[in-house]
Amino acid sequence: MKKISIYRPTTVDEAIQILSQHGTEAGVYAGGTDLLIRLKNRLQQAPTYLVDIKKIDNLRYIKEDAQGGVRIGTATKLAEMADSDLLKKRYPMLVEAIHMISSPELRNVSTLGGDLLQEVWCQYLRGGYACWRNGGHLCYGAIGDNSYYHSAMGGRLCYAVYPGDAAVALIPFDAMVKLATPAGTKELTLEQLVPGDLLVDGRIQSHVVRFNEILTEVSLPAPKPGVRASFEKLRPRGVWDFAMASLALSLQVRDNTIEDARVVFGGIAGRPLRERAVENFLKGKTLSAELGEPAVSIALANAAPLKYNSTKIDMAKGLLASGLAKLHGNN
Amino acid sequence: METIKGILFEPVGCLAEFPPEPFHEIAVRLYGKRGKASRSASRSYWHLLNLGGDTIEALEVQAVDGAAIYDDVLPALAELKAMGVELLIASSLCNAAIARFVERCCPHEFDGVWNRDNAEGIKAAPLTRALEGASLRPENTMFLTDTAEGLRVAESVGVNSVLMMNDPDESRRLAMLNPGGGIVSLHELPDFIRLVRAQNGET
Repeated sequence: MKKISIYRPTTVDEAIQILSQHGTEAGVYAGGTDLLIRLKNRLQQAPTYLVDIKKIDNLRYIKEDAQGGVRIGTATKLAEMADSDLLKKRYPMLVEAIHMISSPELRNVSTLGGDLLQEVWCQYLRGGYACWRNGGHLCYGAIGDNSYYHSAMGGRLCYAVYPGDAAVALIPFDAMVKLATPAGTKELTLEQLVPGDLLVDGRIQSHVVRFNEILTEVSLPAPKPGVRASFEKLRPRGVWDFAMASLALSLQVRDNTIEDARVVFGGIAGRPLRERAVENFLKGKTLSAELGEPAVSIALANAAPLKYNSTKIDMAKGLLASGLAKLHGNN
Repeated sequence: METIKGILFEPVGCLAEFPPEPFHEIAVRLYGKRGKASRSASRSYWHLLNLGGDTIEALEVQAVDGAAIYDDVLPALAELKAMGVELLIASSLCNAAIARFVERCCPHEFDGVWNRDNAEGIKAAPLTRALEGASLRPENTMFLTDTAEGLRVAESVGVNSVLMMNDPDESRRLAMLNPGGGIVSLHELPDFIRLVRAQNGET
């Protein structure tokens, strides 16, 4: 493992200052369940200067706001979210999703911010191949084994899937995030935070956070009346793995009519994939057992599977059918 | 990799899907080659170049007429041109075949067109002439190819070889030859060049 230096700032401003000083050589260190593994795997792209934000007091909280929504500090542990009575009461689907992330041991360490901004888990990147995210100019996943962790919806240089579950589960609630930047605080939707592979500061990453910015808070608006939501995840192993396909589905229902819908797939694209065609199809329909088939038929029309991963599309469509059936059954 | 200022395109396999049969037919007629045509027009084409000598222009033009230009070619070329990248054809096909190809594909996008007639040679010759004609340094230039032979030619000229990863299995084998990079689709090329620029500290 290369030699690293660790800073322990006590304020967000101080952390931003240190990050700005070291440029892309520095990285934010919170839970470390992604970052430390990249260092141990000797990835060229892993940072040399770690800015440990655990000493910053005001980043670890779950609290209700005046409008009935909930604000979560990004250094909050996933286990704390999974145990939160407030979240269980307001957003049970989110808690369900958090329980499916990794193992209990890792959830005790991993933070919400880390889960949202984690690096992809492509076996070629993690194996040290000189791919796009590791100093090279070729995606080995596009031509190698891409059955588990690569996009079935096309790519942009890198074909790895966005691996996080929390973002997939937060988007249906129209969650917002706050970014602390040298120029002040920026507010974005969660979809804007993780738009998929893009060039930021000369690197390919799944999120828009620049080298000198820190994700500080996720906020969820008050739950809408009549919302039913479900999260399902298919993994190569029964427990403890990243999604081969996942689906966060929420329907706002009044008198059995769907007034609004959110359909977000995980594990199949370089970003949490919001399927607006299905959302639009569902709006105004009566929630019934017959909705599954037509919804599935229009879902993921732009699928572009690689050689070994077309099953991901079948899985995602299966999740859509079962998710709709589940929410219909919750009548 | 240094900042890329120009790209050399070999149309066969990089800008269009060519039918392999005309190239196979040339090999049969001229050199008595036996067996079935390869499924890959690129392999047939580069193999033909290895046999040496003249090829048959009419069959090359026929191959061009049967070629299906990839959907992403025009938007990618337009974006690259807007980025100020020099776009050049460097091919071992004959003048008539390349002229027909450019006319069919994108008559206004290329800044230079080199073929075996005006370059007076095949393989490395069109690449070298294209570099000279555009005053490009090899280090600042890419050559797109989808064959081992193409990668070797790029290396001999000193340009950055970029593997067009049309077929995953073949590309996996070719990736072992350490190309300078690889893309799945031409639409990735502008991002490739932007990334290299950013890595070199340019905006």
